[in-house]
Amino acid sequence: MAPSEPNVPLLEARGISKTFNGVVRALDRVTILVRRGEIVGVVGENGAGKSTLMKILVGVYAPDEGELFYQERKIPFPRNPREAAKRGLSIVYQEKGSIPHLQVYQFLFLGHEDKYEKFMRLQTRQMKKQAEEVLREFHIDCDVEALMGDLPLSLQKMVEIARAILTVRLEAGSNHLMPIIILDEPTAPLTIEERERLFQDLLPMKSNASFIFVSHIIPEVMKFADRIYVLREGRLVGHYDLSAERITEEDLFRAIVGRGSSEYLGKPVVTEQVGGEAILSAVRLTRNGCYYEVSLDLHRGECIGLFGPAGSGKSEIIRTLGGLLSFEEGSLAIKGQLVRPEESPPDRLRRGIGYFSGETGKELFLNWPIAKNISIVNIEKVLRKVLPIIDFGAEKRLAERVVRMLRIRTPGVYVDCYSLSGGNKQKVSVGRWLERSPEILLLEDPTVGIDVGAREDIYDALLEMKRQGLAMILVSDDPKEYSILCDRVLFIRAGKIWESMSIEEFRKTMVM
Amino acid sequence: MVLALLFFVLLFSVLYPERFLTPLNFSTILRQFITLTLFALGPSFVVVMGSLDLSYVGIWMLGGILTWLLIPAVGQWAILVFPLLGLVTGFVVGVTQVRARIPSFILTLSLLIVYWGLTATLSGGYPRPVKGYEWINRPLIPYIPTPVLWSLPLMAVAVFLIKYTKIGVHLYAIGSNEEGAKLAGINVHRHKVLTFTLSGLFTGIGSVILFQHLGGATPVELNLNNVVWPLVAIVLGGTPLVGGSGGPQRTILGALTFSVVYRGLYLSLLHPEVIQLLVGLMLIVAIVIGSRGLREVVVT
Repeated sequence: MAPSEPNVPLLEARGISKTFNGVVRALDRVTILVRRGEIVGVVGENGAGKSTLMKILVGVYAPDEGELFYQERKIPFPRNPREAAKRGLSIVYQEKGSIPHLQVYQFLFLGHEDKYEKFMRLQTRQMKKQAEEVLREFHIDCDVEALMGDLPLSLQKMVEIARAILTVRLEAGSNHLMPIIILDEPTAPLTIEERERLFQDLLPMKSNASFIFVSHIIPEVMKFADRIYVLREGRLVGHYDLSAERITEEDLFRAIVGRGSSEYLGKPVVTEQVGGEAILSAVRLTRNGCYYEVSLDLHRGECIGLFGPAGSGKSEIIRTLGGLLSFEEGSLAIKGQLVRPEESPPDRLRRGIGYFSGETGKELFLNWPIAKNISIVNIEKVLRKVLPIIDFGAEKRLAERVVRMLRIRTPGVYVDCYSLSGGNKQKVSVGRWLERSPEILLLEDPTVGIDVGAREDIYDALLEMKRQGLAMILVSDDPKEYSILCDRVLFIRAGKIWESMSIEEFRKTMVM
Repeated sequence: MVLALLFFVLLFSVLYPERFLTPLNFSTILRQFITLTLFALGPSFVVVMGSLDLSYVGIWMLGGILTWLLIPAVGQWAILVFPLLGLVTGFVVGVTQVRARIPSFILTLSLLIVYWGLTATLSGGYPRPVKGYEWINRPLIPYIPTPVLWSLPLMAVAVFLIKYTKIGVHLYAIGSNEEGAKLAGINVHRHKVLTFTLSGLFTGIGSVILFQHLGGATPVELNLNNVVWPLVAIVLGGTPLVGGSGGPQRTILGALTFSVVYRGLYLSLLHPEVIQLLVGLMLIVAIVIGSRGLREVVVT
């Protein structure tokens, strides 16, 4: 293939649409293009359609509509990853891509060993020599005989990227095809320092390949991408050329979360403050590399939102309050008692603090009935007083209360959980923690991935508990969720609190 | 591992030279070594992949009684029923495991018990002596049991497969990170079927030798030691039960070490029951050490 002009698009995907199950429109006429030696950022919230788009490009899904052009010539969509690689497209997955027990050269050629086989025997010396050349070409500094698992994570990622480029070369049978490598949230498992390392190493590779960099971490994308596409609810809502225009992180953030419609606006939000004294008080909490000098007071019956882009430190802060992470400096008092930095989640539970994450909260015992799933975390409520035997009547009543409170749609409380819909499963897992009657509830993405109706039921239950004095802290990707649940919103960026807003101000800012 | 082996050899040689350092003792060690190796060689492939295959003793037992049954009909060729049974068993286990997604441990354990029951039924409950295969363990070289010689090519093939072919690399990849292997374009299911089949075949061929080596009569009692000791050899050799590293070459070393240690303990004045206890403890220690090595590896 002849080298092309730098400005001719290498690859262009035009008007891509994809609908799942005939209802959910995951992508709606999205067009993106990639030029030679470019890093193109694709950003958007969870569920914005980023992954679907990438999966179409590498042949995992077929699009309903759309066209694909390679150097302005129309080509068919790839039907599987191998075909995609033949056309120059390969993907590096967020996790699970590395294979710790393989040596670097084995990993590089994994699945493509055929070329190096002689009477079944692998020509390892040749493979190692070839691998060394590849690593040198990409300026990756590691021993080809090292175990993948022994390398730092950022270096493992680099080897994975090298492998992706190599895959394209081997499948296409040519070294002259410019590969387009999709990096699907490559930095998610990395620490901040490792991310920096990765990007420093990645920049020189622009001469070997173009990259599509999928992420929802704004500062990262701003720093390394040449152009950025923004997806929201399956539509392309923004396109920024960073070499031509100056945009701020706020601009991008606003584009990602969007403004406008809210079906919840009519709902009243409870804002009455119950007690005056703080039930949880953090003073200058610091965990280096995550957040710095975070101070906040939480009162009974109050809900505070920690609002900011992914990677801002909001998750780390709420996890610290829940005892999942320790803090390094500052002090934390719960109901007037100072707590040690390294206290564990069970200790926090004993103090009346519950942590619930929509991601991990899905871990129900699916082959157990609803009632058992609820009583297992509230076991002291269903044991008889004299002998510690389970009181099945109490168990049933407890479960029925949860089902009523959260409007779980089920024929009975002895139905196995796997038969419930995703939203109802989520309700069971929220409900069983609410039944523990914590005084403070820490919520991280509590309604991620569930439908609107189920969300409302969960919000109603939470607001009811709040009215009774429950204090909450919320971290979410969804601005609407803050406007429904919170009384105050703290803006978090780069690990610091930048601004505190009342909920009315917040709504105005987000133009809801 | 080699160092540990040398250490034990030296230890016992110093402790009781007049009993340990005799040709007779060494040939006893070799005899036990080859028993363990032949049982453990095939399953080693499976363990590298992160699964478990316990059917080996079953193949050996059922194959024996089938040979006995077939001899009147087909004569000496009857012995070929071993590799055939191994092949079929392995294939069926592989396909079932992939299709039904049952843990291979439970599947092969159940199969072992089924085969045992079949053996007991077919034999009518009595050990049946089988004549005609004495050539398998007729002495050729003094003090070296002939089964060891027969097994050399088998061991060589096993080591070749795991160390020098792409199948070996793919098995390590699957054992290390199955999802990652899949993402790298490896057909994991096909490899699983292949590996269980390979394991069964190795056990089947090994059982031809073992059958004569272990008395030339069809066994009807399930001896727990025959099930557990090969596992000890695999783990002791350095193949963690979660897979990803090790392999047949390590199992051979593990079997040798185990045999030396066992023989050393046997020659001491300890009660046999105490020796059993120590063997059990050895398995636990080997598993703990094996899994420690892996925990430091971060899967991303």
